[in-house]
Amino acid sequence: MTVQGIILLDIIGIAFIFWIISLVRHTRLYVGYGVIFITSIFATMMIISVPFLLHLITRLMGALFPASALTMLALGFIIFLLIYILTQTTILSNRLSRLVQEIAIRDAEQQKKNLNKNTNAFE
Amino acid sequence: MVNSLSILIAIPAYNEEKSISDVIGRVRSSLGEYDLLVVNDGSVDNTAKVLKQENVTTATHLCNLGYGRAIQTIVKFALKNGYDGLITLDADGQHQPEQIRELIRSFENSDVDMIIGSRHLGKNAYKNIPFGRKIGMLLFSRIVGLLCGKRIYDTSSGLKAIRKTVFKPLIECNFVDFHAEAIVYLMRLGYKLDEFPITVAERTAGESMYSFLNHFKYPLKTGLLIVLSIMDAEIKKRGVQK
Repeated sequence: MTVQGIILLDIIGIAFIFWIISLVRHTRLYVGYGVIFITSIFATMMIISVPFLLHLITRLMGALFPASALTMLALGFIIFLLIYILTQTTILSNRLSRLVQEIAIRDAEQQKKNLNKNTNAFE
Repeated sequence: MVNSLSILIAIPAYNEEKSISDVIGRVRSSLGEYDLLVVNDGSVDNTAKVLKQENVTTATHLCNLGYGRAIQTIVKFALKNGYDGLITLDADGQHQPEQIRELIRSFENSDVDMIIGSRHLGKNAYKNIPFGRKIGMLLFSRIVGLLCGKRIYDTSSGLKAIRKTVFKPLIECNFVDFHAEAIVYLMRLGYKLDEFPITVAERTAGESMYSFLNHFKYPLKTGLLIVLSIMDAEIKKRGVQK
């Protein structure tokens, strides 16, 4: 990779890190997700910037060219994130369901009590 | 009549404004001595309004959670309020309250943990059903038979009598449809399940929950859920043994 390419990608990476920090600060992104993103971006910047690391990763992944190794890494990261985010969505959905059920049950219990009161008063 | 068990009659309803009033009326006239609960599963039509007019105890889901969650709400309500058992029936008017009385009698006189109102017992087995659904029903009936040693002929029936012994296991797992996966889970845990022959009327209003896409999605989804149910049941059994 050329020096120009490395500098450009590092600048983009730093911009992303600042953006993520800003999102976390304003509670628009959960700190746990922020850590995952910042770590991944930092690791990518390191791999791109240090030729030794780039060649090591290429060799470890059995790729002929660094670009192929980076593409495979990116694909793996995207799949991991998709599964992780869907897991979090499911957890959230379960919590929401429990909340909705709890509200419904409490409301029904109150109705039942009122109904019994009215029946007793009538009798 | 003095009931030996305190039983809750429960109806999960989603967009059933046209039929729910009739179903409630029929249940009240035939099974008036039992408590009645309707779960309005986030209906977007006038079901809520009709339920208010009917003055029936209603648990309202603020958004649509699906059939399985609606049944789970019913089970949670029954457990919290100390019922010995509960009967679930569909809101589309297909189940006949007169037969439910017989089902309750059979339920009270047995030690079975769950009785399923079966449309496919005896002579009328799998008659007048669209080919696709028939294949699915036969398949899951056979799968349950193979996995649990006892065949259940109608795994997707909405009419069920559930004893309090299985309230907790049913709440602990998140069943999507409360069909074959719930049956397999309970039977693998050693609970007794049986069927009771019923006849059903044609749906008069509203829409079935089975769309065209569901004919492909349902078997795959239920198949995966059955595998997960077996895993859950085995893990739970080993946990209990420890």
